[in-house]
Amino acid sequence: MRRRGVGAGAIAKKKLAEARYKDRGTEIAADQLAQMSKQLETFQKHLEEFATKHKDDIRRNAEFRRQFQEMCAAVGVDPLASGKGFWSEMLGIGDFYYELGVQIVEVCLATKPRNGGLIMLDELRERIAGKSKARQDVSNDDLLRAIKKLKVLGSGFTAIPVGGGRYLVQSVPGELNMDHTTVLQLAEGSGFVSESSIVNKLRWEKERAQRVLDHMLKEGLAWVDDQATEGRQYWFPALFPDPAG
Amino acid sequence: MAEFQWPWQYNFPPFFTIQPNKDTQAKQLEAWCLLVLSYCRHRRQYSLDVTDAQDSPLFHNQKIGRKLPLEAVYTVLEELRKKGNIEWTDPKKRNRCLIMWRTPEEWGKIIYQWVTSNGMNNTVCTTYELVNGDDTSNQEFHGMESWLLTRALQTLQIERKAELMGSEGVKFF
Repeated sequence: MRRRGVGAGAIAKKKLAEARYKDRGTEIAADQLAQMSKQLETFQKHLEEFATKHKDDIRRNAEFRRQFQEMCAAVGVDPLASGKGFWSEMLGIGDFYYELGVQIVEVCLATKPRNGGLIMLDELRERIAGKSKARQDVSNDDLLRAIKKLKVLGSGFTAIPVGGGRYLVQSVPGELNMDHTTVLQLAEGSGFVSESSIVNKLRWEKERAQRVLDHMLKEGLAWVDDQATEGRQYWFPALFPDPAG
Repeated sequence: MAEFQWPWQYNFPPFFTIQPNKDTQAKQLEAWCLLVLSYCRHRRQYSLDVTDAQDSPLFHNQKIGRKLPLEAVYTVLEELRKKGNIEWTDPKKRNRCLIMWRTPEEWGKIIYQWVTSNGMNNTVCTTYELVNGDDTSNQEFHGMESWLLTRALQTLQIERKAELMGSEGVKFF
């Protein structure tokens, strides 16, 4: 008697069954995709309705704006995408961040002679808030989003975290690598560092520390102070508060 | 006198160390020049003694314990001399200088503007009443030292806007 399932015929049969399952799988996937698309469409529609209804709140309230942005991100919507369409035309959200971007550039250019192109996010926010009444409720979150947009445009803008939720905004496309930003983070509390403090706290070799410090001096980001009792200190204008407007 | 507004650099310790980076140094010297002139203008100070100045708040910030070294003080004053804002009384010794936070030409213009707006064209007045009289008490040139006043009036004389009459009088046209 012939054994069942073995032989050319059985193999062909198996192959056919597999093919059928595959088709089925594709069918199912296509189905799911259609369903998900529909759901996404619904999400987006709801988001649009929500946005229209709360248009003013979004423009006026920083916390509201932040949460709205997070909702958008969750469904893959970018309200800051350039071009026409619902978001930019109806809401003017794009305008809000675009204008903010322009003001950020203005403040950075204006303060660059002093700080070499590096400014604390808090100081940036205060200066922008001081420029117009409409900018009173601009938050650090708003600024970071606008800076991200600027970065995408290839303008050399970037935000560097320095611990404790604080940021330094760099507006010149100079080469600031990890070593540089680490030293800036070290300096952030007091506004200055010395070669020995870098060596002691970061456990670097003298040469590595000196390289970083020389670079900062060259870029105009740091000034030297030779009257400190502990030896030469390097101070960063960007980290030195300037209460004047 | 209202309190003097120090610029941000004054409380920045490195401001009192001449910077090695040339661009930064240029910014630093410019800031020092501006500070010296505004400080003297605020105090209506027309001359400066280098030794006294080095210990004064201008070059010595006691609060942060920083003092501009003597050599750097001379660097700053030399910059100002090149710009025409100071003049050594003795260029060899360089221990005292005259300060012109405005050039004689600028002063001349300001004085002439006051003269015109007070309808004093074609009149004569003494140099004393010009800078010490009640009429000019609110003017920036009030209390100006005579050496500077003479230079200012001389620039007007060149423009035929005034004529010096001896050392004590002037006629305005």
